[in-house]
Amino acid sequence: MQPGICTVFLVNTMTVEYAELHTLSNFTFLRGASHPEELVQRAVEQGYSALALTDECSVSGVVRAHMAAKEAGLKKLIIGSEIQLVTGLKLVVLAQNRRGYTSLCELISRGRRAAEKGCYVLAATDFQNALPDCLVLWVPDNQLILGAEDSWILDAFAGRLWIAVELLADGLHRQRLERLRVLGETLDLPLVASGDVHMHYRARRALQDTLTAIREGLTLEQAGFVLYPNGERYLRSRAVIASIYPAALLQETLKIAGLIDFSLDELRYEYPDELVPEGKTPTTYLRQLSEQGMQSRWPQGASKKVIELIEHELELIQELQYEAYFLTVHDIVVFARGQGILCQGRGSAANSAVCFCLGITEVDPARMSTLVERFISKERNEPPDIDVDFEHERREEVIQYIYKKYGRDRAALAATVVTYRPRSALRDVGKALGLSGLQVDRLARSMQWWDGSEVDDSRVLEAGLDPGSPTIKRLLWLVRQLVGFPRHLSQHVGGFVIANGPLAELVPVENASMKDRTVIQWEKNDLEDLGLLKVDVLGLGILTAIRRSFDLIKSYSGRQYTLATVPAEDPLVYDMICDADTMGVFQIESRAQMAMLPRLKPRCYYDLVIEVAIIRPGPIQGDMVHPYLRRRNGEEAVTYPSEEVQEVLQRTLGVPIFQEQVMKLAVVAAGFTPGEADQLRRAMAAWKRRGGLEPFEERLISGMRERGYAEDFSRQIFKQIKGFGEYGFPESHAASFALLVYVSCWLKYHEPAAYTCALLNSQPMGFYSASQLTQDLRRHGTEVRDVDVNQSNWDCSLETHDTDRPTLRLGLRQIKGLSESAGQRIAEKRGALPYASVDELRERTGIKHADLNVLATSGALAALTGHRHKARWAVAGVEEPTPLFPSKSRYEATPMLKKPTEGQNIVADYKSLGLTLGRHPLAVIRNRLAAYGYVTAGELKTLSGGRSIRVAGIVITKQRPGTASGVTFVTLEDESGYINLIIWKKIAEQQRNELLNARLMGVEGELQIEGKVVHVIARRLIDHSEMLGDLLLRSRNFR
Amino acid sequence: MSSSEKTSAVLQGASPTPPALKHRSAARQPVQQSLALSSPDQLPADVREPLPAEITVPPSRTLVRASIKEHLWLCIYLPALPLEALTDRKPGTARAVVEDVQGIRRILLANDKAFAAGIRADLSVNAALSLLPDLNLEVRNPQQEERALKSLASWAEQFTSFVSIEAPSVLLLEVAGSLRLFAGMQTLWQRIVSGFGQQGFTANLALAPTPLASIWLAKSGREVCIDDHAHLNGHLSALPLHCLGWPVSVTESLCSMGITSVGDCLRLPREGFARRFGAESLLQLDRALGRLPDPRVSYRSVARFCALHDLEEEQSDRELLLHACRELLLKLERFLLVRQMQVQRVQFRFFHLRVEATDLVLGSVQAGRSVAQWFELLSIKLERTTLPEPVIAIRLRGGPGQLLSIATDNLLFNTSVKPRDASIARLVERLNARMGDACVRGVTTVAEHRPQYAWRSDGLSGDAPRCAAMPGFWNERQVPALLQEIRQTNNLLLRRPLWMLANARPLASEQGHPFYQGRLTVVDGPERLESGWWDDDGIARDYFVALTAKGVYLWIYQDRSKNAAWYLHGFFG
Repeated sequence: MQPGICTVFLVNTMTVEYAELHTLSNFTFLRGASHPEELVQRAVEQGYSALALTDECSVSGVVRAHMAAKEAGLKKLIIGSEIQLVTGLKLVVLAQNRRGYTSLCELISRGRRAAEKGCYVLAATDFQNALPDCLVLWVPDNQLILGAEDSWILDAFAGRLWIAVELLADGLHRQRLERLRVLGETLDLPLVASGDVHMHYRARRALQDTLTAIREGLTLEQAGFVLYPNGERYLRSRAVIASIYPAALLQETLKIAGLIDFSLDELRYEYPDELVPEGKTPTTYLRQLSEQGMQSRWPQGASKKVIELIEHELELIQELQYEAYFLTVHDIVVFARGQGILCQGRGSAANSAVCFCLGITEVDPARMSTLVERFISKERNEPPDIDVDFEHERREEVIQYIYKKYGRDRAALAATVVTYRPRSALRDVGKALGLSGLQVDRLARSMQWWDGSEVDDSRVLEAGLDPGSPTIKRLLWLVRQLVGFPRHLSQHVGGFVIANGPLAELVPVENASMKDRTVIQWEKNDLEDLGLLKVDVLGLGILTAIRRSFDLIKSYSGRQYTLATVPAEDPLVYDMICDADTMGVFQIESRAQMAMLPRLKPRCYYDLVIEVAIIRPGPIQGDMVHPYLRRRNGEEAVTYPSEEVQEVLQRTLGVPIFQEQVMKLAVVAAGFTPGEADQLRRAMAAWKRRGGLEPFEERLISGMRERGYAEDFSRQIFKQIKGFGEYGFPESHAASFALLVYVSCWLKYHEPAAYTCALLNSQPMGFYSASQLTQDLRRHGTEVRDVDVNQSNWDCSLETHDTDRPTLRLGLRQIKGLSESAGQRIAEKRGALPYASVDELRERTGIKHADLNVLATSGALAALTGHRHKARWAVAGVEEPTPLFPSKSRYEATPMLKKPTEGQNIVADYKSLGLTLGRHPLAVIRNRLAAYGYVTAGELKTLSGGRSIRVAGIVITKQRPGTASGVTFVTLEDESGYINLIIWKKIAEQQRNELLNARLMGVEGELQIEGKVVHVIARRLIDHSEMLGDLLLRSRNFR
Repeated sequence: MSSSEKTSAVLQGASPTPPALKHRSAARQPVQQSLALSSPDQLPADVREPLPAEITVPPSRTLVRASIKEHLWLCIYLPALPLEALTDRKPGTARAVVEDVQGIRRILLANDKAFAAGIRADLSVNAALSLLPDLNLEVRNPQQEERALKSLASWAEQFTSFVSIEAPSVLLLEVAGSLRLFAGMQTLWQRIVSGFGQQGFTANLALAPTPLASIWLAKSGREVCIDDHAHLNGHLSALPLHCLGWPVSVTESLCSMGITSVGDCLRLPREGFARRFGAESLLQLDRALGRLPDPRVSYRSVARFCALHDLEEEQSDRELLLHACRELLLKLERFLLVRQMQVQRVQFRFFHLRVEATDLVLGSVQAGRSVAQWFELLSIKLERTTLPEPVIAIRLRGGPGQLLSIATDNLLFNTSVKPRDASIARLVERLNARMGDACVRGVTTVAEHRPQYAWRSDGLSGDAPRCAAMPGFWNERQVPALLQEIRQTNNLLLRRPLWMLANARPLASEQGHPFYQGRLTVVDGPERLESGWWDDDGIARDYFVALTAKGVYLWIYQDRSKNAAWYLHGFFG
């Protein structure tokens, strides 16, 4: 500002006080251009007396702002919301106290629930209760008049309504101020200064323009007057503000801020109380349930140790008043049990003895004695954490039960804030800058699925664009800012909040994209930050498969198993695991896990817990796997730097593997308080997104130095902490998973037919396709029979007739394109009377032509028509009856159709069923392959390592894990088994074409044998896909 | 010769050999009576290389039909048309055409170099680029393909009078009558292949007695000549079904019964076949085999008016010239009327004996076709033109024609053309005619915060689309934003000076105060404008209204980015 040029109000700018009352963060999606934390930080720097976060019809960002305000020492954070009514009237509503906050939440919920996801609708009628305990600013539009239809606000908000004066350097300050002053006098309303803040500092102007263009679906060049003319909507310095606004208007901001007395800390969460029967307290009821559970778990009476343990836990729960939480989870689990839905709890509290008694978990604490110490800790003041996994296909029933029991106003899913990733940011910014679709594609492509999250210049070069060009520079600059910005709210996978009163008093509820789903405006972390509790209701495929296996076993043999009664610690099962014969089981079936099993040789339950946790990106990046292996195999001495550390790391041979151990280490070795350790845990989870681990690094290393630990050791620990970041796996989760690993292995070993049958009926899940699962089953000696309209049900089933071992009959569900209703009807109408012809099949079932076609293609009509070609001809001739002409069978000449060749049958099998029971395709072309000198997977095991070798097979998986520094793992399949390839980065780049396109891959390489682990290190790849003809096998690509 | 015989406008597809006008005047040969019409790609017709007047037919070794009663169809299939139709080719690079299928861009076709690197049809753009990072990708352009096909059809008309376009990528030539003229099939074949090659197109050819058979054979890549119905069945039987262009559902269904070739189909019972696969498939088989007639529609070059008026002797009398021009315009009017078309631009060319011809181009704001209208413009323009020499002949060419209905639509959308405004349009035309094109310009406001870009001047006649400044003008979703835009525009206009300097003029300043004919008094402001960072002309300025000592209001600004310097940007009234 030039003195003398614009009007200067005579105030001492150094002493002027100001509270910003109208601020949008990036939680007003595609409008606000700064994170709430940035706004808070900046407001502190500018010395504001208060900052109101007023996102448009939302309080999604307030928890972050609240936490940041506490940390940065903001004098006052005000919570409010900008609301635009259907008439165009714009209000800023500020919560004056707890009651005001509630009425604001209710208003937001009303507006959001009435509109589709992401929108809101509010009209004058929605303000009938007049927002008690809220203060209201009216933000006039450019016309500067209050329309007659909006004049109700004068009465409704009498005495707590202000006119917001927003002077944003549009050249009309004087006129605007004058007009508003007159308006204020006419309407008898006070004026107050506010800034319509969209960003924390002015350098975000370009990003704000870009967001606007993205929102409107325009390029920046097209956007014209949709953009703001300047970047004044930022947190201006108090000196600037003082030079623009009359002092009285600034004084008024302080007056308003002074009227407000509310902080999120006041929110108190109350558990639902209907779970406790009349005459009982939560404490006595939980004790009663635990004792009942103890009796059924240990009918002969529990050991003294167990009884003491339970007593100890109950005391702790009582002290922390967590009874209602356990009762809530117990209630959900009881419901699931009653419906026959298999479930299993996990998480820090889930592996307690109380949870075992309540049936929340099946992990016997006696089996897991080492875990109990890490049950809810008093000092940590961390809310108990129980996630419950349910059968994935039936989770919805549980969710609906919760909604029904507590009502939609009291139960809702937590939100997940979907944020901009480099790829989506590139796309949107690229479009706004006017790049063509192809250019954007090119750039976005360079963020391949195996890339990390940073956008760097080399990627731009790779995309054939010039990183030096101004447009590209702008693009990257904007993208870097945009990454991490919230884009929209989605629903959390299963995090439920259940409250005693209406949730809307706590946080607004809005519609999710799924019908009949609502989410709250906060995400999981926000709930944790405020100390609100939630139950995770998750879906897990393996539970579906295990429950189906139990049912199948019962139906053919009468034996009834549960998770708890599957015979424990069976050495035969561990033998199988050590052989890495684990295709189709839970967790330890991936290529990396299978490679580890023969080295780790798990022999007991706790070994499985470690196995589950150790083959994760966290421990791998933290370089913990090899030290652990060496120590376990006795190749390295097991040592501990101190006794305290020994206590923490003893069960994992001195190598930290679990998240809990890292936190405990921070306490015992670096002198962290439990509270700080908890902060560390959260920082660990977030550092990849937000950074912020550095202060902990300093503290950890200096703390350990003080306590006499070697620098190497502390650096190693910190490296592991970083590795845990995104993918840390807590022991409490691994413990629950390990039980499911064991049960699935037991089933695979003892009941292979039932287990495979259950897996097929639960697809899609796991790493392997139906083809691989059935091949595996047949290699283990169980017969699999073809799909047949006269034998198959919709699901795959077991047939027991002439053998003592059941055989597997493929179900109609394997047929690609067959509708479930048709499949069910075929089985149902068949009864004991088989179909004799296609016409009869159609008449009895009334199924559609399309379904008949896919049946014919699958070979399921072979019994009625002969080979596939005949079946398709017959089906094509079937006419659907019309009301006028009921179908009649007609006589017609049957042509001579060629019988399908073996190759054609295999192709058709794969296309329709995804598997073949005929010969493996490679068996068919083995002669040709042998001519090239290719050996089979079976032969590989008989050869010696280190020699050159040629192998070939169908590509079934390609993996390029982020942890393996550019190595691609490929698995090939031939008629005798699987071949594991390791392809180094150099070869992968030289032979991109073969790697990406080959479906039948030939490989020249070196054979590497380490114990039972066989690898081929590829030197050259050859694409032999043409040999397969049009055999359609697609590999599955995993990260 | 009567004058009506001397000038003529003839619609014709393929032009026989017009003599070059340049030679004509010297030799004083009788005027070639015609012709005139040419497709845009063949312009100018008068410089095309003439073919020899007489073709001697060498004794042919291949295929010269004894009788031309039966048809022979030559199919030219362009397998790589989507790629080859695209113009900007960099030689030696790997290229591919991309097609947008339901929002996903996939490779449609790749050139040899790209193919060798593994680029295949159906690959996603991502996959293709990961195979070959410097692959040149272009988006398929069906309009361009259509244009290319038409141009090739016009070219092919030199071989036969019957060329049929079978979109999207096939030309059909009926050549039974041409074989003798072109000395047999082999010559014809080679000329076509090399001619297409020179124009940058790959062609697969096949010859058969029925159109469908020739198409199927060409698509199969079998370059065969079948001149006898008797051989048709044998050749067709071996064809795989995918060459037939039948719906995928039919082909797949047949395939699932083990029926993979035309021969397999022919062995099936007719009734059963028709019942399962529809009568259309059966009809096609019958047509291909010549059992049923299969009429085709001939392609004719798009008509564009061109007519010549020969004056017999050098003429310099304006009235007479105008009269001749009027005759030509009348022909144009009839020509357009018949086709329900109109043009926005016409070109007169006055030929002189000794010097280069003189061109007069007339444009009109509204597409029109009335003689009176053009005539008026012409007479104004001619008045201002000095002809270097007497005129010996006049040629009139119409610009590309538009269909009448389309033009009417434009009138509806173009709100400025109401009956009242028609006279303005006339005025503009007349002004332009008198003072030359580009003298009269319109001013449009542009939705833009930067003052230097907030308006634009437009030429008024010709093809310039006037709504370009309003992106997505007709997009309904944006109407509210647009309304706001307009409101703000009005608002802004009031606050902008009517006289804006093309380039802002630096102002002297002293201690931060701007000077212009003395110290300036700031009256209003600042209006802060910060915008346009996305191109290389972003601004950050504070605008003020200032008053000079003499009482003149100025629009000045202080540049926030460059040393806070002061500039004068405009004058208020």
